[in-house]
Amino acid sequence: MRSDTLNLTWIYTKKIMKAWFQYRSDALLRSVTVFLREATGIIVIYFTLLKFDSLNGWNMYEMFFLYSLLFLTYGIMIIFFTGLRDFGRTVRDGSFDRYILRPRGLLFQIIFANADWFAAVGHGGLGVVLFLISAQKVGIEWNVWYAVYYMFAIIGGVLIQGAIFLFLATLNIYLLETSSLKELFYFNMRKFAGYPVSLFQKPIQILMIYVVPFAFVNYFPSQYLLRKDDMQQYPEIFLYLTPVIGIGMYIAAYFFWRYSIRFYKSSGN
Amino acid sequence: MRLAPYIAYLKKSFLRKSAYRFDHLMSILSTCLRIFIFWEIYRTLYGTRQEVDGITMAMVTTNFILSMGLDVVFGMDDNFIPGKIHDGSIATELLRPMSIKGRMIAENMGSSVFKLIFHFIPALLIAQIMIGILPPASPMMFMCFLISALLGYGVMWSISFALQMLSFWVITTWSITTLKNVVINIFSGTMLPLWFMPEWMDRILRFLPFSSIYFTPVQIYLGQLSGAEILEKCCIQIIWILIIYCVGDILWKCGQRKLVVQGG
Repeated sequence: MRSDTLNLTWIYTKKIMKAWFQYRSDALLRSVTVFLREATGIIVIYFTLLKFDSLNGWNMYEMFFLYSLLFLTYGIMIIFFTGLRDFGRTVRDGSFDRYILRPRGLLFQIIFANADWFAAVGHGGLGVVLFLISAQKVGIEWNVWYAVYYMFAIIGGVLIQGAIFLFLATLNIYLLETSSLKELFYFNMRKFAGYPVSLFQKPIQILMIYVVPFAFVNYFPSQYLLRKDDMQQYPEIFLYLTPVIGIGMYIAAYFFWRYSIRFYKSSGN
Repeated sequence: MRLAPYIAYLKKSFLRKSAYRFDHLMSILSTCLRIFIFWEIYRTLYGTRQEVDGITMAMVTTNFILSMGLDVVFGMDDNFIPGKIHDGSIATELLRPMSIKGRMIAENMGSSVFKLIFHFIPALLIAQIMIGILPPASPMMFMCFLISALLGYGVMWSISFALQMLSFWVITTWSITTLKNVVINIFSGTMLPLWFMPEWMDRILRFLPFSSIYFTPVQIYLGQLSGAEILEKCCIQIIWILIIYCVGDILWKCGQRKLVVQGG
């Protein structure tokens, strides 16, 4: 690592903040909109459980707790991985070619040259609100060990989702257009990751545990803290795997990226 | 008014939709997955119960399939007018010897017809095979369902139309249209069958247009409404279309007067 890397990161971050918050009222409005858009799922759960009391043994606050991890991790993740989310556009309009010409690592530039702060504030804010509402009510006796576990779970969750983004971004090198894949396998799946994975049928459970492992982002970490009955059908070890899977997936996605980038052909004009 | 140019726009929009095959296939999968997962959630909620408040699981399933299917067909291009105002092309659009509103609805119907044939129907077939949908209560009810669904489309279109007109005054309508979608998602019955809304919410919703979009057609399809009620609900749909359209039209007239295009 060059000595000025940190410096460069700081300059990038400052510029991004300035750009996103150039129009202050618009920035606020956008963040609130993202917050409310994401709250749709929560409102639906609220009304549903008002009628049905519990879903597979999970009450309203436990569901909120489950959801909060999803939003917290996304809020942190999007600060770093916006460049990967929008990578398809970067490739199509040719601005990726500019990155290649610069004397810095490609991934470094992609990660630090952009950050969607509206999404970060919107998602992260919703995560914090849900956590504050639910953490007291779900019967967790918070102690140091739980707090440490929780922090590692968040880091793991961030890495898992970052790795999915990196993987999908890499596919752009081969496919050019992957937004529908991302819609289907990321954003669509995420809507349902807010529900306990145990209530789905086997094929979808397999998808959520082994293929797009959202279950490790929020379900298993929540289970460690809540210990609901539906955990019995899964191996105990799943409760501890989140950080390992996060790191493993990220490394795998990174090598896939390194390998694929050699085949990059500019589509630009 | 000659219809030919509008039909041409309708066709063009239909063909434009058919350009992205892979993307399209994925979106059908997405719809099926959504229906399937909501079905799973409600299956768990129902557990061993045959019915909740007189509503059977089969009715809930039918509600999800129909309203999510219609939701796809009713998709609006909320950026039609804002986009044109933003890049200044609204100026040339206004000079054309045809109504821009007419064009807007023609283009939208083109893509809706495409989505009806190549998205709604395949998704419906897959859902029928995977989880099963109730048949319509009677052929007569099915006809009424089609009429009411068309009116629901009208409500949806006029909401989008009226909100798009705000782009004469606000620079970015992204927030407005996103919030519109949030409200419609929650209160129109696509994610949450309106039978299960609490009493107080039900009372509020009676004064809002959202249940007119998908829920009225679904109720007719299931045969939940008597002849008089069908007439009443369809009239409510028509009244909503008129009210929202008129509001939109007033905004449209004021907006045109206010519009200043720089360059283009």
